[in-house]
Amino acid sequence: MILALETSCDDTCAAVVDGPRILSNVVSSQASFHEQYGGVVPEVASRHHLQLVNAVTDAALSQAGAELSQVDAVAVTQGPGLIGALLVGMSTAKALASAVRKPLIPADHLHGHVAANFLEPDPIDPPFLCLVASGGHTLLAGVSDHSSFETLGQTLDDAAGEAFDKGARLLGLGYPGGPAIQRAAQEGDPAAFGFPVAMSRDPGLDFSFSGLKTALVYRVRELGEERTAASVPDLAASYQRAIVDQLVVKLERALDRGGWGVVALGGGVAANVELRERAGQLCEAREIGLKLVPLELCTDNAAMIAAAAAHTEPIPYPDYLTFDASAQAANLAV
Amino acid sequence: MATLGFDTATAILTVAVADGREVLAEGTRTPGSDGRPRHSPLLLLEVERCVEGAGGWSRIDRLAVGVGPGSYTGLRIGISTARALAQARGLEITGVSTLSALAMGVFSRETTGGSPGSGGQATRAPLPVLDARRGQTFVQVHDPRAEPRGEPLVLGPEELCELAATVAPKPLAAGDGALRFRAELESVGVEVPEDRDPVHSVQARHVCVLGEMADAAPAETIEPLYLREPDAKRWLKRDERTDTG
Repeated sequence: MILALETSCDDTCAAVVDGPRILSNVVSSQASFHEQYGGVVPEVASRHHLQLVNAVTDAALSQAGAELSQVDAVAVTQGPGLIGALLVGMSTAKALASAVRKPLIPADHLHGHVAANFLEPDPIDPPFLCLVASGGHTLLAGVSDHSSFETLGQTLDDAAGEAFDKGARLLGLGYPGGPAIQRAAQEGDPAAFGFPVAMSRDPGLDFSFSGLKTALVYRVRELGEERTAASVPDLAASYQRAIVDQLVVKLERALDRGGWGVVALGGGVAANVELRERAGQLCEAREIGLKLVPLELCTDNAAMIAAAAAHTEPIPYPDYLTFDASAQAANLAV
Repeated sequence: MATLGFDTATAILTVAVADGREVLAEGTRTPGSDGRPRHSPLLLLEVERCVEGAGGWSRIDRLAVGVGPGSYTGLRIGISTARALAQARGLEITGVSTLSALAMGVFSRETTGGSPGSGGQATRAPLPVLDARRGQTFVQVHDPRAEPRGEPLVLGPEELCELAATVAPKPLAAGDGALRFRAELESVGVEVPEDRDPVHSVQARHVCVLGEMADAAPAETIEPLYLREPDAKRWLKRDERTDTG
């Protein structure tokens, strides 16, 4: 049984997980606090994490009917993420683990998104191809075993979720941008505006979204305030189409290269209906499986960190006392 | 029983275990060769070392943590560690003003090792001044017995000097902010001990003393004294003012 903490961005999360079984999965979202800024403000996120982390941890333990002394290890996101935010989780997890002399398992956040697929309901085992797309990350992961993954391609600039956030801000649709753009796009024509699908002619598997945002800036400027306001549904639908097109093009290319039998989607952008539908069509056409984890396991959560930790080497007490968080990436063999 | 105290509000990490006025163990860690504080990798290590040196966790019944003002990240590392230790070990916890701990250091120096109630006679008022970056300081006026007078403030050097000039009896300023603005403070007659004087560093033994005198509080109510809003919030307010103005 693992108690896990996740504070890499703007959700304060704690969970208790036993093998593939989730005993509790508590997420305290700060989205409403960041809405007024149109994105995550690191200092605001760090302050909220500190306010919430103890209550969220208590809630995870009590919902699981567990005492801290009963867990086998305490897991925590080591990185990548916002360093100030990560440090709140890391300091808390280290102190909790050391108080009960239990091992600490520092987990990689991205490995967590991949490992969400190992959890109930319907856990799957490797090998599979995993597209992780969130506000902070966009990558294609080749997953051959439980303890690691190979990065086949990743964004060279903005993440897909960041593109949604920035697009939504430009169109005055609020935060978080993914759901806001999706809502507005329902009434729009995705072919109304032609936005560039970056990297589609690039033979590699990397992504790029910053040019798309710039294209939207120019389009909004061309249209002017009045016409932009009248075209929001069409702009949102076209912009969303361009993001999803790029994700699907790269997914398709990875499948061409790999011979994968299953595709899994993870990260907050995996909640996007158009992406889910397009990935479904792709997998159906290729007669391969599509694994969609429940939405609460797509967005940041601590159950996925526990799932990654279950396949990561624990650090015994007291060797982890000097352990630190990392904004870049965890020092793990992934 | 004893109190474990630590402070991470400044670049120096300080940890102590004390029983009343008796210091059972203490440790200090200065920034690394890159000049950056090492609170995250060294705080728990130093805590375990001090607790072991003081006779083990069974001797500890209270935890006192410096709540600033100071470095936001440093404070969050210290407070989240303190809260989790208190939560997991069922310890009482108190938050202690870092400025008052610094003032207690001045009082202790003035009375050659005394503490409030010990009968020492201090004649100068401690003026703890921490470097708040951006050309500002965190400061709080204290009386000669190291009792706070007024609220902790964020002041620029000019305002700091105006405040210091009004303090009676004559203040003795301590802390990295006092060192940074030594010339300004001395120009208004405030004494600033020499740079290497230990009075300029927060010492956890003083955090322990203040923690023992304070009432315990629920762990989740122990919060940093930020004193400044996040930049983004200030910018937002400025923009709102611009829009409405």
